[in-house]
Amino acid sequence: MEIFTQLLVSGIALGMIYAVIAFGYQLTFATSRTLNFGQGEALMLGALVGLTLVGYMNYWLMIPVVMIFGAMQGVVVERVGVRPALKTKSEFGWIMTTISLAIIFKNVAENVWGRDDLKFPSPLSASPLKFLGVNVLPMEIVVVVGAIAMMLAVEIFNRKSIYGKAVVATSNDRDAAGLMGINTSMVITFSYALSSMTAAFAGVLIAPLTLTGATMGVVLGLKAFAVAIIGGLNSGMGVIVGGMILGVAETTTGYYLSTGYKDVPGLVLLLLVLAVKPAGLFGKTVIKKV
Amino acid sequence: MKIKFKVLATAIALCASTSAIAAEPIKIGVSGPFTGGSSPMGVSMRDGVKLAADEINKKGGILGRQIQLIERDDQADNSRGIQVTQELIDKEHVIATLGYINTGVSLASQRFYQEARIPVLNNVATGSLVTKQFLPPQHTDNYVFRTSANDTIQSAMIVREAIDTRKFTKVAILADSTNYGQLGREDLEKALAAKNVKPVAVEKFNIKDVDMTAQLLKAKEAGAQAILTYAIGPELAQIANGMEKLGWKVPMIGSWTLSMGNFIDNAGANGEGARMPQTFIQEPNTPKRKAFIAAYQKAYNPANGRIPSPVSAAQGYDSTYILAAAIKQAGSTDGVKIREALENLNEKVDGVITVYDHPYTHDDHEAITINMPVMGEVKGGHVVYAYDEDKNKGAVLREKAKAPAKK
Repeated sequence: MEIFTQLLVSGIALGMIYAVIAFGYQLTFATSRTLNFGQGEALMLGALVGLTLVGYMNYWLMIPVVMIFGAMQGVVVERVGVRPALKTKSEFGWIMTTISLAIIFKNVAENVWGRDDLKFPSPLSASPLKFLGVNVLPMEIVVVVGAIAMMLAVEIFNRKSIYGKAVVATSNDRDAAGLMGINTSMVITFSYALSSMTAAFAGVLIAPLTLTGATMGVVLGLKAFAVAIIGGLNSGMGVIVGGMILGVAETTTGYYLSTGYKDVPGLVLLLLVLAVKPAGLFGKTVIKKV
Repeated sequence: MKIKFKVLATAIALCASTSAIAAEPIKIGVSGPFTGGSSPMGVSMRDGVKLAADEINKKGGILGRQIQLIERDDQADNSRGIQVTQELIDKEHVIATLGYINTGVSLASQRFYQEARIPVLNNVATGSLVTKQFLPPQHTDNYVFRTSANDTIQSAMIVREAIDTRKFTKVAILADSTNYGQLGREDLEKALAAKNVKPVAVEKFNIKDVDMTAQLLKAKEAGAQAILTYAIGPELAQIANGMEKLGWKVPMIGSWTLSMGNFIDNAGANGEGARMPQTFIQEPNTPKRKAFIAAYQKAYNPANGRIPSPVSAAQGYDSTYILAAAIKQAGSTDGVKIREALENLNEKVDGVITVYDHPYTHDDHEAITINMPVMGEVKGGHVVYAYDEDKNKGAVLREKAKAPAKK
């Protein structure tokens, strides 16, 4: 039982990392029906910028600076990659542009920070806390709490503030929102800023647990995409549950089945979800009227 | 007019080529990962080769010609390695190549050298298969040589350390899913079977995996007293850090990659005490080694004076001198003649690791035998001798065992 709990806890911590990146996919999808395939790279840039800054300031003070940087990076992605595609009503242009921007960001990072994996100094003690026979790293708790707090903050912002209402309106019906006087292209830019900001935030949170380097975002971005599909691209609850499912599936399969197959169940689940409920476990099926 | 121009051009080209022959440099390829998780090995190897080549060039080069190194980054990627290899052979026309860090890249790429009859000296790749891809009767001659301790040697040393010396009876194997990790795992299992020990757990992980909980828990539950590893720096560090997280600490004993700078730095205190076979420890206990370490530090100024991968640097340096001696003996840059010279090298090559006296024969392309490497240990962020006995005798050169290795 202790083993299972340990696997569960590690799986949840891992899943939360996936969830918070997947959340970024949702934000942009809601407003513009586009995804930033460079989500993993936004996370990587956040972590590396954080690593540079942490040499000059306190870890906790560095986080807001990194978040501002992330938001600016998101604006660049939207302006350069997504807006032209949206303007020309290109159905898939944004896929290639966000992927190419991701590659550019990765190459830039390789040139600035090198291609080595670097150690990110942990702001908290690196020795584990023990309760109920389970070991948890303090940083893992920070990741879980930070991820949930981040998602909650964005949800509350969307529901309560007037700007958030503009975001919600744009997600519901972009054309109608436009007619109501909402600057929808501004809202889309904003959602990209928000999305990359969460990714950059996730980057500095997880960097002390993983290693930091130009290629750290590739695998994480891909797995988070699977989470976003499993959970549903329009459900905040979905990414949390989806992330946990994938994380726990990885650790438990690794233990009970074979570590060689640990990535398989999550992907099988992805196929199943796509076959049975394409909108995702928690997604709302939208009927597209033509 | 057109014809005239052509004649003129040919004449100029001819003049240019005849005048160039006298001082045309000898092109030697250097292939390794200079970026990414394997880069401490690749960069150290390259720098070792450069040091040696510079020294040789300053003394007038070989056969009156200067060495020109053609360095290419294979990124530890098999397909990239093939591209680089073809470029070195077909475009750059190298006369020999030093390198290959990653067993997978080596196995995928070196057949081009074999086909082109150009010798390739693997100065870091350790997979047992590396020198055994092109054996008779299918191939009359083998153009693949090695100056590193192969995995058969390393796995035997790891098992000797774990089972014989430290009397562990239950060990777990953790290896990555690359060619290197999985071939090494096979060698480890064979070496354990020879002692009638069956590993209590054999686990696998991918490059870039960030969570080792499942693998470590399996080893822990199986009652492992030690973890034997076959992987590279960053993931090895995740294993060490993962053990700390689970509050379960057993010794790590593994292949020589536990000496990589990116393991030592990323694992920090958790990596202390890890042991691995080493052909070279960064310890100036002979004049040759002292000069080598000083020259390396002066030329490349590594952080804290620590060579990122001392073994790779030393093996890279030595491989250059072995090749240079062979070219000198061959009196030519012809691949066949260099191979023949390598297989019967009359000059004793005074290297950092040892003095190479006839390092190769026609059927034996391994310069290192099991009596040569020592056990190293991570201590205070450096790799030091694990045993005082080895340390005290560190200055005594360990030469290749003369009895040919059992075939």
